[in-house]
Amino acid sequence: MSNPEQRSNFVFPRWTNYLRPGVVAAVVGGMLYLSVLFGVGASPKTTAVGYAPIQPVPYSHALHVGQLGIDCRYCHSTVDKAAFAAIPPTQVCMNCHQGIKPDSPRLLAVKESWATGKPVPWVKVHDLPDYAYFNHAAHVNKGIGCVSCHGRVDRMEVVRQEQPLSMSWCLDCHRKPEEHLRPLDQITNMSWRPPGNDQKRIGLELKKQYGIRDASYMTACSTCHR
Amino acid sequence: MDKPTPQTGKQYWRSLEVLAETPQVRQLIEQEFAGYDPAAIQSMSRRGFMKVMGASMALAGLTLSGCRRWPEQRLAPYSAAPSNRIPGVPEQYATVMDVGGVAMGLLVSSHDGRPVKVEGNPSHPFARTFGGRLGAADAMAQASVLELYDPDRSRQVVQRDGQQSQYSDWEKFSAAAAAAFATLGKAQGQGLAILSEASSSPSVADMKRRLLAAMPQAQWYEYEPMSSDNRRQGTRQAAGRELRDILHLTDADVVVLLDADILASHPAHLRYAADWAARRRQADQGNMNRVYIAESRFSVTGMAADRRLALRPARVMALLEALAQRLGAVGGEAVSLSDEERKFVDASVADLHAAGKRAVVAVGEHLSPRAHALAYAINSALHSGAVRYVAEPGVDRPSHVAAITELTRQMAQRQVKTLLILGGNPAYDGPADLEFSKALGTVPLSIHLSHYDNETSALCRWHLPRAHYLECWGDGRAWDLTPSVAQPLIQPLFGGKSVIELLALLMGEALDGEQIVRRTWQSILAKDDFEKAWRRVLHDGVLREAAGAYVQPQAVQQSPTRSAASSLAGFDLRFAADYRTYDGRWANNGWLQELPDPLTKLTWDNAALLAPADAQSLGVSQGDLLRISVGGRSIDIAACLLPGQPAGVITLPLGYGRWASGSVGTKVGVNTYPLRTGQDMHYVGGATVKRTGRVYPLALTQDHHLLNDVGKQARDARIGSKGQSGLIIRETTLDQYKADPKFAHRDVHGGVHLQLFEPPRKFNDPHAWGMAIDMSSCIGCSGCVVACQAENNVPVVGKDQVLAGREMHWLRVDRYFKGEPADPAVVNQVMLCQHCETAPCEQVCPVAATVHDTEGLNTMVYNRCIGTRYCSNNCPYKVRRFNYFDFHAKDPRGGAKPWPGLPDTQQRQAIDQIKQMVFNPEVTVRMRGVMEKCTYCVQRIRAATSERRIAGQKLMDGDVVTACQQACPTQAIVFGDLNDPNSAVSQLHRNQRAYGVLEELNTQPRTKYLARITNPDPGSAPAPKPGKDHGGH
Repeated sequence: MSNPEQRSNFVFPRWTNYLRPGVVAAVVGGMLYLSVLFGVGASPKTTAVGYAPIQPVPYSHALHVGQLGIDCRYCHSTVDKAAFAAIPPTQVCMNCHQGIKPDSPRLLAVKESWATGKPVPWVKVHDLPDYAYFNHAAHVNKGIGCVSCHGRVDRMEVVRQEQPLSMSWCLDCHRKPEEHLRPLDQITNMSWRPPGNDQKRIGLELKKQYGIRDASYMTACSTCHR
Repeated sequence: MDKPTPQTGKQYWRSLEVLAETPQVRQLIEQEFAGYDPAAIQSMSRRGFMKVMGASMALAGLTLSGCRRWPEQRLAPYSAAPSNRIPGVPEQYATVMDVGGVAMGLLVSSHDGRPVKVEGNPSHPFARTFGGRLGAADAMAQASVLELYDPDRSRQVVQRDGQQSQYSDWEKFSAAAAAAFATLGKAQGQGLAILSEASSSPSVADMKRRLLAAMPQAQWYEYEPMSSDNRRQGTRQAAGRELRDILHLTDADVVVLLDADILASHPAHLRYAADWAARRRQADQGNMNRVYIAESRFSVTGMAADRRLALRPARVMALLEALAQRLGAVGGEAVSLSDEERKFVDASVADLHAAGKRAVVAVGEHLSPRAHALAYAINSALHSGAVRYVAEPGVDRPSHVAAITELTRQMAQRQVKTLLILGGNPAYDGPADLEFSKALGTVPLSIHLSHYDNETSALCRWHLPRAHYLECWGDGRAWDLTPSVAQPLIQPLFGGKSVIELLALLMGEALDGEQIVRRTWQSILAKDDFEKAWRRVLHDGVLREAAGAYVQPQAVQQSPTRSAASSLAGFDLRFAADYRTYDGRWANNGWLQELPDPLTKLTWDNAALLAPADAQSLGVSQGDLLRISVGGRSIDIAACLLPGQPAGVITLPLGYGRWASGSVGTKVGVNTYPLRTGQDMHYVGGATVKRTGRVYPLALTQDHHLLNDVGKQARDARIGSKGQSGLIIRETTLDQYKADPKFAHRDVHGGVHLQLFEPPRKFNDPHAWGMAIDMSSCIGCSGCVVACQAENNVPVVGKDQVLAGREMHWLRVDRYFKGEPADPAVVNQVMLCQHCETAPCEQVCPVAATVHDTEGLNTMVYNRCIGTRYCSNNCPYKVRRFNYFDFHAKDPRGGAKPWPGLPDTQQRQAIDQIKQMVFNPEVTVRMRGVMEKCTYCVQRIRAATSERRIAGQKLMDGDVVTACQQACPTQAIVFGDLNDPNSAVSQLHRNQRAYGVLEELNTQPRTKYLARITNPDPGSAPAPKPGKDHGGH
């Protein structure tokens, strides 16, 4: 140990002088990087909250649902039967509009589709990644109302995305479904409030009634991904 | 055992290389990820690394700059929705596919108008599995959906004139054809010849009748390279009329087969496999059947048989003569037999006599007419109740060889002015000595209707795109003549027409396919309520009551045996349809090209299958390129050593070496048709074999996914001094099983000494998924491999990647040999993710990308996976697959960019739009860089659970059927809920034969195997003593 040559191994080399400013720069830079990353990543612009594309037909949910009171399932008829909540075929529009305002210019695209048999090219608003397998029927038959994910569609002139539809947002509910459960006859009711505003009580009651599984099942990867 | 085991003492071995422990195999064992070269990374300079990383970052930047919400997607609802159609919910339609004149009953799933999965029709008598709940389909039928979306399929009418070819269209063709056929009509069809594939379609028969009525001078020929004409001729000799034999294997205690691959190659093989397995599953009741086979190749049925004798073709015939004499079916001079042959005959005759009515003898479709006559005589002498006969339809035609010979002669003599070829590919698969191609060039007007612009099309004046069977109306008859209707699931993608539509067009009938089929079925269905009966046939897919009536004419006395001096000089060549490409028609199908052959485990090639003894005497080793010559013709083909191949016989699989097949199948393998002449379409003797000195790489998967040394040591440590053999395969004979019912557990020296895991949760909430695989019923047909590939969007990787050990099949069939290489027994073991409760893969994943769910599924989270491949490394079963490339976008025939030559251009390649259509939308399509593996078909579990839960019902046993289970003709695979003590899978898990592979590693697999029971006759080679009957890898 007393050998001076050996001791010289323990003298810090010159470059270590730059270590301290380097570390500081890395830490500051890293924090900046992380804040930008998460700031951008979590911004509504990234999650597309508020996404409201122009549709080929200026269809107003506010008018049809909010004012006229048409039930969601009149048009989205497969929502309680299948994974996919069907976009209504042109035929459904024409059921009424053959008689009501048949000459409105706003209906041009619908009438064209009805005449030619070609589909109306609606723009998809709520778009989950392809590796997430969401099942509408599994949700609406187990007490999740339309409004929980889609917002107050009955007040929307143009449909927009109301919720982030991110995985953490899904999991919030999959962990505590009782915060969103409602009676099955109130699924499509956009303005339903729990009796006595006590969501927790009715939620837990319904959770038991519907046989909803515990959080470990509900948050297992294979529940949503295949 | 004190001394180290001699290398040849291995009880079970996968290949001759493993048996000999060659350095290549050592390397495969030591390096799980072949092609991984640590030196290549270490030698990469820092500068090089920066360059690569910089380029990658730049690329990443490029994609980021284009960052936005993902592309706008459009939703296209119907204008007027058809009733009962729910978007996103698959629908199933019954249909049939005709191959070689026999229709297979299918049930095809369609997702939003896109057929994506072909399964067997449970209502169809020749597709239903035993018990009738599921329908099976073979690998080819299941892979046919890939052909539908093959971008190479012909899309346009092509007009050729000598070397000139130009795209045309149906209008121009119609105009040209109308003129030609008007002239022909005036001449009563003089100069018109039609060459058709074998077809069981009543509608095609009806159109043929109409055409010949209008043009009586026209000649209609039928040719099929894999023909059953010998049976037609043989039964005519034996019974006075042409018959089809229908085996009822459930009624057979003893089955003696002569070169008859009834479980995999026979047109009725699905039904036969199902019925055979029904009797194998009765091992626990001690009521198994016994199967003898003498064959001139190694077939799938040979692997499943209880006693097998590999013989030269002439000796198979001699053996049959001897058998017939001994059973009193024929007289004549005694046949001299070798010792082995005599023992085989003694044993089988004793068993046949003992079984009496419950015995049956069957011969291969390709065997000589005499063989079929003898089989008929033997079964009549036995009064066998296990075989019935129906009258063969279409008896008025000459044999296929005679037909094409006559046609070629007429063409050569310029008698044929107009030739219409309906399907088929005679320029490729016609008899070599005819020179059909040359004659075809002389025909003034030749028209070829075909799925691909193929070898024959290239020589015709017109090529017409043919509609795929999933695109058009049609019909067909099953092996027992049960008729079915084929209905389209999609409009023709490329504007093709079916055979009947083309005939209608040429005859000037303004009818579409549906109208033609309906017209034909007016005579098949009840007249009074046609519409109702028609809809029922469409729904059921089959008209069961219209099956052929059983007939049993008196056997005609056969001429006595004449001793034929058979020459043993040179090699016998045995031509056989390939298990994957059949006669070559599936050559452009990537799923089938990459499916390992059930026997050789060869992918993307065919090879000359050679007995190890012959290879030794010729000085040939695996992959040596041979020149095989016979009758002045020769081909160069790689040698593939197949233990159990009869000495002196070289099997040449047909169906490869196409030169105009498409981007997948062109120039894959070697064309063996040039050696096949019209004299004998199945055998030719006196061939000479020479080494060329060149070596050809064969992409064999038999040595892939071996257990490595660490795994072996761990296993040896646990099973103690017995350490020489593992416990992967367990099997015994029926007699020993009766004596020792718990044999499967005798040698397990399990016991967990060190528990690495916290006591695991039970993983049974609310279901505990499990699988059972009965090795007694598995025949190794590999239908499950294609089923898994189709269901789970498993990509095709290509030959170069298979050579690097990167095939992506989630499910493989491990084929183990046992015993001497000259005459080995074979055990097949389906290997897939075992869903271990204490899964070794999960413990080593640094990012928790593979975790358990509450029901016991070992789930794979693709989005978390960063591709360390540790999991695969730690998996003792070697069932995890890594996406080295974006294989779906990659051309399987294109070379891979050698790793680590990053960046490559893969990420920017989109998957072809047409190819995308085959994807199952219920399963994620994986990108490169992630690990994947069997999910127990989680999408099917979720679909079934959701459906029941939404309906407020409990999940029933049988609701969830995995894709492999669905496809299995023998129902060797059973899946279900272990929580339910009455479920089929629970019962099998409780069976005393059930064991977990490598369970001594404390993996606690959810998949259990049922030890294999064979039923050899007591006189066959003594079975190994219990306790030593366990396999290594």
